[in-house]
Amino acid sequence: MFENTWNNIIDWFRDRSERAKLVRSFNDSAKNSFVAGIAPTLLKASISKGESSYKHQFSNWLNSGYRIQAFTGRILSKNELIHIGTVILDDSVLVRRLIVLGFDTLEIHGDAGTYGCRWQLKDYIPLPKFNENE
Amino acid sequence: MKMNDTLIQDSIKVASKAISKVTETSDSTNWWMWLAIAEFGIIAFLLIKEQLKSKVTAKQQFKSESLKQDIDFNNIINSSFNSIKLYDELKVKCHPDRFPTDKEKNIIAENLFQEISKNKTNVKRLLELKEEAIQKLNINF
Repeated sequence: MFENTWNNIIDWFRDRSERAKLVRSFNDSAKNSFVAGIAPTLLKASISKGESSYKHQFSNWLNSGYRIQAFTGRILSKNELIHIGTVILDDSVLVRRLIVLGFDTLEIHGDAGTYGCRWQLKDYIPLPKFNENE
Repeated sequence: MKMNDTLIQDSIKVASKAISKVTETSDSTNWWMWLAIAEFGIIAFLLIKEQLKSKVTAKQQFKSESLKQDIDFNNIINSSFNSIKLYDELKVKCHPDRFPTDKEKNIIAENLFQEISKNKTNVKRLLELKEEAIQKLNINF
């Protein structure tokens, strides 16, 4: 029991650090691409509440959404927002990383208005069923 | 009286000798005790370490494998804005129907076209395929 609790505490801190690193890396790349003129819009990733019905076995209790918001520059159309989501979901390594770090929802939002797109991450990667007592 | 004094002095000497002997023996006992405590400490440490050694479950293994892989965020951002244009260009120029007479080029184009369709949201891979098309199919972009 002590062993499990200790491991859970270590895992929690490690996951927290990895989640922050994932958001930071995305934001750094987005900023560099915007400055270099590769991307016409500045994208910014953040952690959001997420959708509770999208939960899976790795999901966090709180804040299980990975939100990407389009800032500054040109306002993106809905099709462009969907395309950004598709690019992310097509990257199986990123989807897998998001899932194991406790994210279950991907949200892409524009800067203006309240519209946005939302995807259930577990639909895009086959998740094996794990036995907790193993 | 004098004899009594010497006796007293002797008894004091004997007592001091006895005390020093007791102190010596108690010193050696302490040393062994500390050694035993140290041994106990080492054994306890090793046992606790063995107990705390995590048994890797399938779930943890899946997680650690996923965390090992690298993510190319620059390519993801680039693909988010520039993959559609590149894909549209490649799918037209590398279509197998453009090589109806040359069977060899037709097969190459077919394979390339399949790869292009599979990686339509990955700019990095599309650029590699573009290079391949230039070399193998002599296409000018």
